[in-house]
Amino acid sequence: MSTFSGINTAYSALVAARAGIDVVGQNVANVNTEGYTRQRLSTSSIGPADAVGLFSGGVSAGLGVSIDGIARLGNVYLDARVRTASATAGYLQVRSEAMRTLEDSLGEPGSGGLSAQLQEFWAAWQDLSNHAGEPTAEALLLAQAGVLTDRIHGLYQAAESQWSEVRSRLGSMIGELNDAAARVADLNARIRKTVATGGSINELLDQRELLTTTIASLTGGTVRDLGDGTVEVLIGGNAIVSGDSARQLRIVGATELAGAAGAPVQVEWSNRPGHPVALDGGSIAGAIAMLAPADGTGTGGAIAEAAAAYDDFAARLADQVNTVHRNGATTGGDTGLDFFEFSAGLPPALGITVKPVDGSGIAAGAAGSGPRDGSIADALAGLGVGPDSLDDSWAAFVSKIGVAARTELQQSGLAQTASAAAGSAKLSSASVSMDEESVSLMTYQIAYQGAARVLSAIDEILDTLINRTGMVGR
Amino acid sequence: MRITSQAMVRSALQNLQANMNRLSELQDKASSQRAINRPSDDPIATASAIRVKGEQRALDQYQRNIDDGNGWMATVESSLASVTQLMNRVRDLTVQGANDGAMSPDAKEAIAVELESLRDELLAKANSTYQGRTVFAGNSDAGVAFDAVPPYGFSGTASDSVQRRIDANTTVRVDADGSSVFGTGTDPESDEVSVFALIDTIAAELRAGVNVSERIAQIDTRMGAIREQQAVVGARQAQLQHAEETNMDRSVSLEAQRSGIEDVDLARVILDLQVQQNTYQAALAVTSRVLQPTLMDFLR
Repeated sequence: MSTFSGINTAYSALVAARAGIDVVGQNVANVNTEGYTRQRLSTSSIGPADAVGLFSGGVSAGLGVSIDGIARLGNVYLDARVRTASATAGYLQVRSEAMRTLEDSLGEPGSGGLSAQLQEFWAAWQDLSNHAGEPTAEALLLAQAGVLTDRIHGLYQAAESQWSEVRSRLGSMIGELNDAAARVADLNARIRKTVATGGSINELLDQRELLTTTIASLTGGTVRDLGDGTVEVLIGGNAIVSGDSARQLRIVGATELAGAAGAPVQVEWSNRPGHPVALDGGSIAGAIAMLAPADGTGTGGAIAEAAAAYDDFAARLADQVNTVHRNGATTGGDTGLDFFEFSAGLPPALGITVKPVDGSGIAAGAAGSGPRDGSIADALAGLGVGPDSLDDSWAAFVSKIGVAARTELQQSGLAQTASAAAGSAKLSSASVSMDEESVSLMTYQIAYQGAARVLSAIDEILDTLINRTGMVGR
Repeated sequence: MRITSQAMVRSALQNLQANMNRLSELQDKASSQRAINRPSDDPIATASAIRVKGEQRALDQYQRNIDDGNGWMATVESSLASVTQLMNRVRDLTVQGANDGAMSPDAKEAIAVELESLRDELLAKANSTYQGRTVFAGNSDAGVAFDAVPPYGFSGTASDSVQRRIDANTTVRVDADGSSVFGTGTDPESDEVSVFALIDTIAAELRAGVNVSERIAQIDTRMGAIREQQAVVGARQAQLQHAEETNMDRSVSLEAQRSGIEDVDLARVILDLQVQQNTYQAALAVTSRVLQPTLMDFLR
């Protein structure tokens, strides 16, 4: 046992206590940093030196404390849970937001909705029936028909612009995804290098964790540890990031609602054109589901389905009104006239227009029943009544959208709750607790004081030995 | 379980957010006074609300139709009442003129002149209009039901009628057929002779010294036709009145339905709002107390 061995032990304790205070400092400094995972100094005791040589013998104390490293107190299972929950929440949130926008664009139930305009339209026919051949009633009918077609155009345009908006959001989401993938690959490379040189990778891991969570909430991508500090991020079973290389995704397909049926929007690997990526969830999958074309059975993308419903409504309105209107005669005696017509090259909901420009094109009366007859106008007003009327089918459509929106909102709410629960479970385990850090700080401070006391004790002993030995009686 | 201030802040924020959400929903309801602000609030009730509003709008329109029909009917009815009075006078004069034994040609001429002026009054009544439409000529747009000069041509068509819709399945005729009230025939010997041609014939016969007692029967036939039309018009007016009452009842019950679907229960919403406000304030107060202290505050 060396004379100075105790000094070294005390020194190692001083260093460890200082290092501990430094780690506490880092934790406290990052108490509000997003994605920061708390760190702990991990130390171990150093045993006594092996007893070899002539004067060995007896027991001796250990040689102090060794700083093994700075541990990152993350929990991979909680991290994985956060990723899964955010993938589901991201998927449902995009859908529920789109459904909310869609149902708000209907303006139902209210005076601005299509149902109210339709009711006014039928009432205008009834008024014309009462005042057949009178310019005021004719002008009122034409004005109301114009308001109705404008409302149908407006609904379709709202669907179109909502589709374009989701489409451009999808573009920025893909951009964010590609950026995140490239940065994960970059971090992978830096982490591998730092591990090889023995440095601390905790902060790099925090950053990478944030990025993989972003990728998961965008695409539902899963993370696989490759063992050398790097991770692989998989989307639909294929790696978007593997080691230090990242692949890019891109969107193909229509950029406007009009082309959606011909060229469905999908995401594919940049280096493998023509092969759509099977997404497991996430907001990109949600956006693609909303952008899907209508499929004729009502199970396609909600926006395109709504647009198809508007088209169907416009076509049925024109068909029903024209069928009756053709039987009628104008005050001038003309028959076989259409009331609604369609502009060529436009979807029905956008192309529907009112054909007559003045009363001479309105056939309010039955042929041969006198010029002031209003029986055809009355029959047209009657189209709004009945079990299979346009009003009823519109109410059913609104109700259907309402049910879909309600379901999506509820599901999204549940997913948000689950995601928040996963997030706070992760935060509970990984975030910095000020109380804990205060206690740690106190502990290390006291440890430092203790080590200093040991040092001064040894110093006094040596002083006694060196300066005061052999001074008896002097 | 380990709790950190960050986790607490996060969950406190979430709870406050949820409280705010509920508060804003209730505020929406209280300020708009509507239980359904968008379809997803209650999809089934939304569809019902749309249907009920459609029925209400249709009912309003039926009421307008009935009001318009009432205007027509009132015009027809008052015209027919005047026509009956005029016809009574025509009949009196004809009876008077038929007693030709004691009557000078001057007196007969006076009767003939009065008859002609009665004919003009009858013509004016036959051409009565409501809002610019002749009420005895169906859907004609000729402006007059009967020409003012012989042969007093009728501009309407007997089969045409002016109908007003009083509910989804029923229409009511609101005009009267001028041809059956006044007649359109020109042959003075037939029963179908128009009342104007008949009066002309009577006046001519009086002047010519022919006895007109034969014509009284024809006048009676015509007056019978007029009374018949009066009865029909009265029955239709009763129908309109009945429809009006039914509509009123239906409108009240529809409004109750609409209100039941769409309107909020104000007392409940205000109570809920108060409770929610208290909850929110409590949450704020508790959060501000809980989040502040850490061990840092107590160590030195």
